[in-house]
Amino acid sequence: MRLKIVEKRQVAKDTYVLKVENPALFDILPGQFFMIRINDFNYPLLRRPLSVAGFSNTIDFIFKVVGEGTKILSLKKEGEFIDFLGSFGNGFTINSSKRLVLIGGGIGVAPLLYLKDTIENGYKLKCESYFGFNTKSEVFTSSGNVSTMDGSLGFKGTAVEMIQGDLDKNSLIYACGPLPMLKKLALLCFEYGCEMQVSLEARMACGIGVCLGCVVPTVNGDFKRVCVEGPVFDYEEIQWQEM
Amino acid sequence: MAGNVNLTVKLCNLIFKNPVLTASGTFGYGVEFSKYVNLNKLGGFIVKGLSLYEKKGNKPPRIVETPCGMLNAIGLQNIGVERFIDEKLPKLQGLNTHIIANIYGTEVEEFVKMAEILDKDPLISALEINVSCPNVSAGGALFGKDPDMVYVLTVSIKKVTKKPVIVKLTPNVEDIAFIAQAAQSAGADAVSLINTITGMVVDVKSRKPFLANKTGGLSGPAIYPIGVRMVYEVYEKVKIPIIGVGGIYNANIALQYIMAGASLIEIGTANFIDPTISIQIIKGIEEFMNEEDVDSISKLVGVVHN
Ligand SMILES: Cc1cc2nc3c(=O)[nH]c(=O)nc-3n(C[C@H](O)[C@H](O)[C@H](O)COP(=O)(O)OP(=O)(O)OC[C@H]3O[C@@H](n4cnc5c(N)ncnc54)[C@H](O)[C@@H]3O)c2cc1C
Ligand SMILES: Cc1cc2nc3c(=O)[nH]c(=O)nc-3n(C[C@H](O)[C@H](O)[C@H](O)COP(=O)(O)O)c2cc1C
Ligand code: FES
Repeated sequence: MRLKIVEKRQVAKDTYVLKVENPALFDILPGQFFMIRINDFNYPLLRRPLSVAGFSNTIDFIFKVVGEGTKILSLKKEGEFIDFLGSFGNGFTINSSKRLVLIGGGIGVAPLLYLKDTIENGYKLKCESYFGFNTKSEVFTSSGNVSTMDGSLGFKGTAVEMIQGDLDKNSLIYACGPLPMLKKLALLCFEYGCEMQVSLEARMACGIGVCLGCVVPTVNGDFKRVCVEGPVFDYEEIQWQEM
Repeated sequence: MAGNVNLTVKLCNLIFKNPVLTASGTFGYGVEFSKYVNLNKLGGFIVKGLSLYEKKGNKPPRIVETPCGMLNAIGLQNIGVERFIDEKLPKLQGLNTHIIANIYGTEVEEFVKMAEILDKDPLISALEINVSCPNVSAGGALFGKDPDMVYVLTVSIKKVTKKPVIVKLTPNVEDIAFIAQAAQSAGADAVSLINTITGMVVDVKSRKPFLANKTGGLSGPAIYPIGVRMVYEVYEKVKIPIIGVGGIYNANIALQYIMAGASLIEIGTANFIDPTISIQIIKGIEEFMNEEDVDSISKLVGVVHN
């Protein structure tokens, strides 16, 4: 599906917002993603997965330049068309009887922004959000409680440190971010007995469940595909020691 | 472009409506693609490699991208032949195309057992034998590297099945035509080539191979000239039909394989980038034949040897 870029804008250091026209053909759950073809020719070859960060009259993505594919994407211009496949993956599920806590680190905050919007404006529920970044120049949202590692904006420390002492059995955490942060949260969840839905990343080739390239280890000694059974997992399913 | 070109290909008792198949490991069990492709329009499709028992596969990371290609070390994760028949095949009933099973084992006996089981299933048109796997009884040497092992394996499988047997060759050998000859003299009905080419990517930050398995198989556009060259070499040495595979992402490359000697072709990695590519390639071949006034695809097979 070729979709037109309506807006492309740098929002923080190495971080861009990409909005494409919404063909209004489908609904998208928070946590779901698209596979994006970077060029119409064969380099880079594989599509790149990006989560939906907003969904209205446009489909919005927020991405960080980490390599060649995202670099090329950052140079695309408004009015150009990009080839999308999706949406894919399971998405987050919302439980109204819980205390909903969103915890994001770095670019992992992107899918949580759409989740926050859905919880607050779709379900008319309350949620708390804690978003951590390295430094002020990397912060791309003013939504929620922000922390920076160097204290240049908001709380000084990680998103986890912001909320850590305040978790309880009734908390349902929605998390996305760097692996060390997710591992830390998994430990805390075991300790406090709270639930967590965690969005994981893996290198992907197909996005539709056939290449078996994107698997993560699960507690029963099996593997699950991030693109089909994920990207959102119940943290108790994952074999964290092997991640 | 609705010209009356004849795209059909005959292989043993099977008629393929066109020469385009999809490659094992890149097309799931077919059903995953039914959203994108009318499966009935394909010449056929080859399902994910099956082993006698379920295999969990390798630890991640299993894939990494390379210039115009990718390395994979999936480790043949699959549900095993029995579950395939019970759970997946019923969903493929009523299709008007050929379903080919791709099988993998670490002992001759495993291959033979699978061939016996699959022989009974009327939904399976043919068997493709993946010989790019270690033979445990022979100390782990790849079946596909040793012409004697390929011979014994093919003879043993032919004994237990009436379905056409396609031997899928590995390119990681010195003389692929020699291995193809061994398959032919053992009674193989066709050979398919190439499987992936062994490679490695190093992560310089961790100073370790990127893939958990260390090495992986290279596939994608980058490898097509190697595949075309190997099909060319095999065509010079064997009479049985050749199925060309490796890096095909458009009709031009499919035609290159056909002209080098392939009767049928398989599309692999390109399915990941565009799930509808197989249908586009069928159309592209048809257009070429119309433009060049070729009435039957069989007239193009091996023409570069003339
Ligand atoms: C389900 C899912 C959703 C994602 N959502 C977003 C998003 O909303 N915004 C965003 O900026 N990024 C997101 N990512 C990560 C993004 O896909 C990668 O950053 C991107 O593919 C890198 O491509 P590249 O060509 O720029 O980098 P490459 O040159 O391919 O690699 C550069 C670096 O990026 C890392 N990388 C490459 N591919 C991936 C990958 N698939 N997952 C994790 N790390 C990778 C590599 O380890 C390497 O260090 C998501 C990944 C997944 C699996
Ligand atoms: C992710 C992946 C999984 C594969 N799995 C199998 C398999 O199970 N059995 C097999 O015979 N070949 C397997 N192959 C090899 C392909 O069928 C094909 O021979 C090879 O990828 C070259 O073609 P391509 O460049 O068009 O992909 C796999 C390839 C890839 C990329
Ligand atoms: S990306 Fe291919 S199975 Fe998940």
